[in-house]
Parts: sequence; C-alpha cells; structure tokens
Amino acid sequence: MFHALVSIKQVPDTTNIRIDPETNNLIRQGVPTILNPYDAHAVAAAVEWKRKLGGQVTVITMGPASAVTSLRECIEMGADRAILISDRKFAGADTWATSYVLSEVIKAIHAEQPIDLVFFGKQAIDGDTAQVGPGVAVRLDLPIITYAVKIHEVDLQNRKVVIERKTESRNEVIRASLPAALTCEKEIAEIPYASLPDLVYSLRYEPELWTTEGPISFDPTQLGLRGSPTTVFKTGTPEKHKGGEVIKTAELGVEGAVRTALDKILAVEGMASLLGVSK
Amino acid sequence: MVNKNEKLVFDVIVVGAGLAGSAAAVTAARGGLNVVMVERGVAPGSKNYFGGALYTHSLLDIYPDFFDRKPPLERPVTETGFWFLSKDGMVRMTVQGGKINNNPIDAYVAQRAKFDAWWAEQARKEGVFLIPKTVVVDFIRENGKVVGVMTDRAQGEIYAPVVIVCEGVNNLLTQKLGLIKHDFKGNATALAVKQLISLPAETINTRLGLRSSDEGLAISVVGDVSMGLPGLGFLYTGKDSLSLGVGVTLDALSAAQIKPYELLQRYLNHPMIAPLIAGGQLMEYGAHLIPEGGWSTMPQLYTDGVMVAGDAASMVNAMHWEGTNMAITAGKAAGETAVEAHKKGDFSANTLSAYRKRLENTFVLKDLHQYRNMSRFLHNHPEFMDVYPNFLNDALGMFFTGFGKPKKQLYSDILKSLTSRRPLLKAVGDMVAFGRTVMGI
Repeated sequence: MFHALVSIKQVPDTTNIRIDPETNNLIRQGVPTILNPYDAHAVAAAVEWKRKLGGQVTVITMGPASAVTSLRECIEMGADRAILISDRKFAGADTWATSYVLSEVIKAIHAEQPIDLVFFGKQAIDGDTAQVGPGVAVRLDLPIITYAVKIHEVDLQNRKVVIERKTESRNEVIRASLPAALTCEKEIAEIPYASLPDLVYSLRYEPELWTTEGPISFDPTQLGLRGSPTTVFKTGTPEKHKGGEVIKTAELGVEGAVRTALDKILAVEGMASLLGVSK
Repeated sequence: MVNKNEKLVFDVIVVGAGLAGSAAAVTAARGGLNVVMVERGVAPGSKNYFGGALYTHSLLDIYPDFFDRKPPLERPVTETGFWFLSKDGMVRMTVQGGKINNNPIDAYVAQRAKFDAWWAEQARKEGVFLIPKTVVVDFIRENGKVVGVMTDRAQGEIYAPVVIVCEGVNNLLTQKLGLIKHDFKGNATALAVKQLISLPAETINTRLGLRSSDEGLAISVVGDVSMGLPGLGFLYTGKDSLSLGVGVTLDALSAAQIKPYELLQRYLNHPMIAPLIAGGQLMEYGAHLIPEGGWSTMPQLYTDGVMVAGDAASMVNAMHWEGTNMAITAGKAAGETAVEAHKKGDFSANTLSAYRKRLENTFVLKDLHQYRNMSRFLHNHPEFMDVYPNFLNDALGMFFTGFGKPKKQLYSDILKSLTSRRPLLKAVGDMVAFGRTVMGI
C-alpha cells in the first residue's frame, strides 16, 4: 500500500493582486484565495500514483479556517484524507516555523501509517520562497528532490523511487530511497476533472482540525512569530531592469568591439585576478 | 459522509446559481424540498456581469431581513436619470431626493461576482446543496418525461422530478427542450461591454457631486454614446469605482462593422466623460449578452417537469434596465410552483402552468407584455439615439446663450435645429409612437 502525503497552501490569487503604491504592501482585500497551483499538480501526481499502486493520499495544510475549501479541492481530485492545522498560535510563522509544525504533523501521521512520499509544490505563488518543502525534508531527514517534473518509478518493495527533476541547463533523473520528499513543477501531472460523485463527496467532506490543543503537542517556542527568526525590514518593488550597454561592431569592428567589451569586464574590481589574466 | 457511489437524487434541480436560480432554490428549500443547484462557474457570480443596480423590492421579497445580512452592496442609488450626449456636450436630466428618497433606497449598485456568491450563500444556509464548476449539458428523460439532468462530468447524472432552468441568456437547455425554436436573435440581443475603473471614493464624490459615499448614481446615457445605433450607455458608482459601459444590439454592431470595445473606448474618450474617469485604474473589462427581446423572444415558460426563469426566459425590460428583479421574482414563483407540484405529486405541464399564472399577476409578465414592441420600436426609430439627444443639447444650449438676440429669432433657431434633423410632423409622430409603444397610452 502506497501512502502519499501532500502539503498544500491556500494562497491569494496573485494574478489578481495589486500592490499599494504608498505602503508597498499587497492589497489582499477582495482578492480571491486559491489552492497554490503547484500544490494542485502535486496532489494530482500523488493521486495518479495512488491509483496505480493502490493506497492512500493524505493532504495537510497549515492556515486559516478558510483553507478548508482548498483541502476540499484536493479531496475532489482524489485525496482520501485532509487535515487542517489551524490555530492562532501558528499565525505569523515564517518558513522555519512552518516547516517545524508541518514536520511534527507528518511525523505523527507517519507513526499512524507509514508515509512513502511527501509531496510539495515547488513554491507558493505568494511568497515564492521554495523553502518549506526542503525545510521539512531536512527536519525529517528525508532525501529531497526539488523541481520534480516526472515520477518514473515508485518501487514499494525495494523502497526506492526514480524521479526526474528540472535544472536550468538539463533534466536529471534521480534515484532515492523511500521515504522521500519532492517539490513539484506543474509538468508532474495534469489536474484531473473529477467525476460528479467525487465532486459531491468533496463538497460534503469535513477536514480534520489539528490545533495546538491536539491531537499532538508542539513546542510553543517554535510556533508563530515567536518561532520565526526571519524579520522583514522593508518591502518594495524592484527597480525595472535596464537594458544592457550595446557595443556595435559596425562602429568598432569585431576586434575593437571585443577589445572594448574585455576592457569593461576586466575593469571590474577583482575580475582580472578571478579570471587569472593580467590587464 | 456520503457514499461515493450514491445515486444523486433530489426533489428539485436548479440549473444556474444566478439571481433567479438562488431565489428559486431557497424558495423550494423553504417548502421542505431537498434542492440541488448546479453552477458552471468556479463560484456563483463568476460568469455573471451587469451594469448595474439591483432593486430592493425583489431582494426584500426573498429575505425580509436582507439589509441585516450585510449584503455586499456598493452604493445606494440616490440620483438617477438620463444624460443626453451630443458630440461634445451633454444635457443631464436626473432626479434626486423627493420621490426616490425612500427608506430603504429602491436600488443599490452591486458587483455580480461578489453579490451572486453571497446570494447563493444565503440559499445554502437554508439547506440548498450547491455543486459548482459543473455544466448541465442535457436532460435525462424517461418515457419522454424529464427526470433529471446530465452534467459534463463522469457519472454526471442528477435526478429530480422537477428542474428549474436559470441558465442565462445563452439558453441552450431551453432550446434543447424545444421551448423556443431558435437561438438568441441578433436584433433582440444586446452586447454590453463595460469597464470597472477604480478611483478613490472622495474623487468620485467630488466629480459627481455626491455628498458622501452613501450616495450614488445610476445613469442611462443616450445619444452620441451609441453612434446612432439602437443602444444605451450607462454609468454606475461603486464604493471606490465607476462602472461605465455601452450596450448595442448585435445585429446593429454587425451591420455598422463597429467593434464593441471601440464603441466603449469612444464613450470613455468623450469630452464630457473622460474627466470623470481621469487618473482611474482599469480593474475589470467585461462583456455580457442581454436578452432585450423581452416578450418577443420569450420561450414557453414551462413544460412537463421543467420551468424556465431569468435571462434564459428573456425576462428583461431594456427601457427600465430591469431584469435582475424579474429574475428574482420569477425564480421565487418557480420555487413556489415546485413546492406545490411536490405536494400534489404531479409534475406535469398542467401543474407547472401555475408558474406562469403566478407571473401573470406580477409586474414581470405585465411589463414584458406592455413593452413587447420596444426593441422593434428602437430599431425603427434610431432618431431617439441621435436626433433628439443632439436637439436637446442644441436647444438648451441656445436657450441659455441667446443673449442680445431677439427671442423670436432664438425660438425660430431652436425649432430649426429640430426640423433640420427631423421634419416637425415626423417628430410629433415619433413622440406619439413612443407614448404608444412604451407607456401603453
């Protein structure tokens, strides 16, 4: 039996978001919330493999009560169990504190029913940090495969998984031992269009609620703002990237243009010694 | 928890969670029925769009404590009327205070994406089961009778002895049942395009002469806005936004080869309109069809096991910008009839004809009948979109600038500005025809 756990996040739909020009803060008022798109694909992948191997998909999220709608969406896609981790004491958590809570919850679920794969989206579209998945994996001492685009093989008997991941220059196919964690790109699986009975089931589904009161206990010093070492000093909109300088061969000739370019590069302090050349 | 393989059986299926659908659903639920409402959008309202304002009488009719429920409304309509645009000028004819200063105010500006979601939520609180993101594609028939609907999802059947179709202007299901023999018609369907422009509330108040954000405008704009085509422009004030749009019948747009967004852009660039929206930020750009044919394009409203309400049934009074209230009133009547049919255990056309009888006793069918020739009238009298708004601008303009000129000459000039556009006798004829068609006098 395959047991996949997917950690998801409900996020503001950033395609609709605006930034207050005076305070530089996101204007969240009236912005609809959605299931983080990468997470949706992660759920789809988990469900796809559950259907191949037989087993169960458990979905968890830490967030406000309104996140149940995103959990229901995961049930609609074919997840079997959904847990909302929600408590005022979790509020204000950065990725460090968030990964603490999630890893404690995953440990508890694992003790109940061993988990083979822990899925995350590659990043949330609101924070874009891509830190929580790897953070949880480190806390749980799991192999982590980021930017996964395809699961080639899940071998429950020999306890291994083969996953393809995207890098800037090429794709890598990686073998890891189970249990493992992965963060997913959208290519990992198509979002299924649920059958009507599955949709109706999800609409009536009530996720479990886990709080600081139980069913497991947390170290209060690790929670929320108090457990978050990150401090935001300032937020702002980055300046627009300016176009680069153009050196025209028509004016300088090829040799002249290359010479000018080289001079400019070598003029950067420390560059000559870095490249091992003399000016 | 439900069994995943359970056959989905309800007492009533409502197709479409718009204003009509949610009104029908909640009415049926109050009658003790198990109601499912199927909506194609991600959430109710996500496919809906209007100018526009909602009418309080219909809202209170469904929820007497409507205002205590904190509905997501923008502003009350405290000033309403016409703006007549000439090429570079404008005559305003609006009313405020007096007869429209009622408690509560008769109309409220709203945004459908927010409002319809809330409106459906009220129905859900009374037990209606909402299935979103699902398209009803056909009916299930047994022995020739409708016994349910088929959706676009796998294992997509839902069963109920009565279906209330509130599917909107693109009434494919209504057509499938043969309740109307044709698709919507270009001469009876308007395409309205609109921009929602964000501006600070104080700016809106200053520019439009509103004393506070508790005052708002609902304006029909006639004349240069439609380039002489049968259609109207509009302006509504949100809390911190303005809705400006223009609606013109499809066949007129097609014949004139005008693109709707060009028409809208021209309106927004008008010298009298542009300063109102200057510095605003475009928040939404949308369009929707409006079944302005009313009576002339109304399908048969019921058949065995099915009733039709709202835009799907062409329930729009283009002259008065009414439609949302008709949809709600009709939805309620359909809901009541469904309850009655369940009590009798009879869902035949004969029993459901009570739906139409209910509507005959309301403004819905009375008004639609009275305005039955309206869209043809405007089609045949384009001068109401062109000659008269321009004349009105000229006449008032001359009246108030004719200083130093013998007044006899002034009046002669004013008259000439009419007769040069439209012979006097014809103009008189137009007014008589207008009175007959519109007011039924």
